Amino acid sequence: MTSRSAEPDNVALITGASRGLGRVLAGFLATQGYGLIIAARGESELRTAAGELASAGVPVVSIPGDVREAGLRHQLRMAAERWGRLDLLVNNASELGDSPLQPLVLASRETARRVFEVNTLAPVALVQATLPLLIRSRGLVVNITSDAAVGGYPGWGVYGASKAALDLVSKTLAAELRDEGVAVVSVDPGDMRTTMHQDAYPGQDISDRPLPDVTVPFWAWLLSQPRMAVSGMRYQAQAPLWEVPA
Amino acid sequence: MRRADLVFERPEDRFAREPPEIRGQSRDDVRLLVTRPDGHRHARFGDLPQFLRPGDLLVVNESAAIPASLPAEGRLGPILLNLSTRFRSDLWIAEPRWTAGRPGPLPLRSGEELRVGRAAVRLLSPYPGIPRLWFALADRPLEPIIVDRGAPIHYGYTQAWPMDIYQTLFSRVPGSAEMPSAARPITPRIRERLEEAGVGIAPILLHTGVSSLEIEADTVEGQAMYPEPVTVSKKTADAVNRTHAEGDRVIAVGTTVVRALESAWTPEGVRPVAGFTRLFVNPDRGIHAVDGLLTGFHDPATSHLAMLGAFLGMARVRSAYADAVRHGYLWHEFGDSHLILQAEDA
Repeated sequence: MTSRSAEPDNVALITGASRGLGRVLAGFLATQGYGLIIAARGESELRTAAGELASAGVPVVSIPGDVREAGLRHQLRMAAERWGRLDLLVNNASELGDSPLQPLVLASRETARRVFEVNTLAPVALVQATLPLLIRSRGLVVNITSDAAVGGYPGWGVYGASKAALDLVSKTLAAELRDEGVAVVSVDPGDMRTTMHQDAYPGQDISDRPLPDVTVPFWAWLLSQPRMAVSGMRYQAQAPLWEVPA
Repeated sequence: MRRADLVFERPEDRFAREPPEIRGQSRDDVRLLVTRPDGHRHARFGDLPQFLRPGDLLVVNESAAIPASLPAEGRLGPILLNLSTRFRSDLWIAEPRWTAGRPGPLPLRSGEELRVGRAAVRLLSPYPGIPRLWFALADRPLEPIIVDRGAPIHYGYTQAWPMDIYQTLFSRVPGSAEMPSAARPITPRIRERLEEAGVGIAPILLHTGVSSLEIEADTVEGQAMYPEPVTVSKKTADAVNRTHAEGDRVIAVGTTVVRALESAWTPEGVRPVAGFTRLFVNPDRGIHAVDGLLTGFHDPATSHLAMLGAFLGMARVRSAYADAVRHGYLWHEFGDSHLILQAEDA
């Protein structure tokens, strides 16, 4: 499970890290020497990702599981405890809902509950679980959101509502944790060629969308900002302007 | 818009190889092509005030060039690492080159380390969509190494001159990889005449990266743009909005100023901003915040040329450039100037 035991200077915990955006961000952090704690549901894909990331020479801990499970969150916290710090928590694991997407009037309670549990409640629970470490490291929490949170796009109602709620979670946590020195931002990565995007449009050609590495410049920028200066902001990684509030 | 729309013919001997002051001339001793929707005028830079009106506002870039070209040593032997954009003291976008005259992309690998003075610099990954640029992480701040070992970034058509050659009358805050060169010919006497003519001057800050991108994608809109740090103060935003409210013109001195003011533009006017901009101003996006541009002459197939197209339409850009080639205007940072004015609405 642990590929190396050396204590890294920076530790990042990323959920949904076996592919897509989470995998790209993990890779970029690995090149910078971050110790990585990664989670995803698919065990074999996660193991492959962990092996690739460790080849950059950084310590990687991978724990398969569903972010809705308290047991997984506990294991993730314990992994960070062992390194004694958590500089970056990225709540990236997301649940789309039905594929193909369904209009809101046809959405089942069961799907809606699952989507909100993964997209809105699990990020809060993971912040709760890791808060002492985040405070100790004066860490940054990144919640991955979506333009569906503000769009009102047909079919995206359940997913969009869960991400809109997550945006409010980010903003509220930013205000509540400011005095503790913990920063919280929401990041909309924009349209990308990912499995989730393909699931939203099964059978359609999405090759015109950029690969998730299009977001790397944004991560480089965000992680270079003084954390408290950006706390409470909502960013679009592919937008023409990334602002620091006055 | 197709890449082919931005290609034009220009003889190689039209590159300005040295600044006029090296020949004992004044910085303002360059030519000025004035392009308006109704045609072109040939003038000297000293004539600039007569093309402006009382109430016009010139917006200038206060960023000063730094000696951002660093000798580096690695697996490929001695190379150059041209720093483009500072994210943090130890994290930059950089362009590894063989030499000043010989560009990359070099056969480099992610994770490869370069020795740059006292610093170990790790190349993290190429910039998505721009393979000649890399994210570079140093084991210490690079600013002291820039001071000790840096040379001004220059290319094959010229040499490295002393740093003061690269500063303009308005350079105040160090940070540009290459000088924002449009204001180079504005000498104290020209500034005085502009002030006497009732032309205002206001600053923005935008630290330029390495030269205008050669557009590699098939379409202009598909081109990846790297970000640049930008600040537009409330004072300058107010001055721009006041100028427009009074029916006067805002003239950007340099493409960096266009990028900055257009980044700060909203339908309600220009607002103060601080951050990084990746805005690509091209004919599809159009121009909203400025009414004219004082600039130099730009290379074929570059993003700057697409910006000119946003002012004039590409047909007029091509006609202006054909005129400039025919009349022997000089290209690049030490070359001649080009004043572009949009339609008079008076």
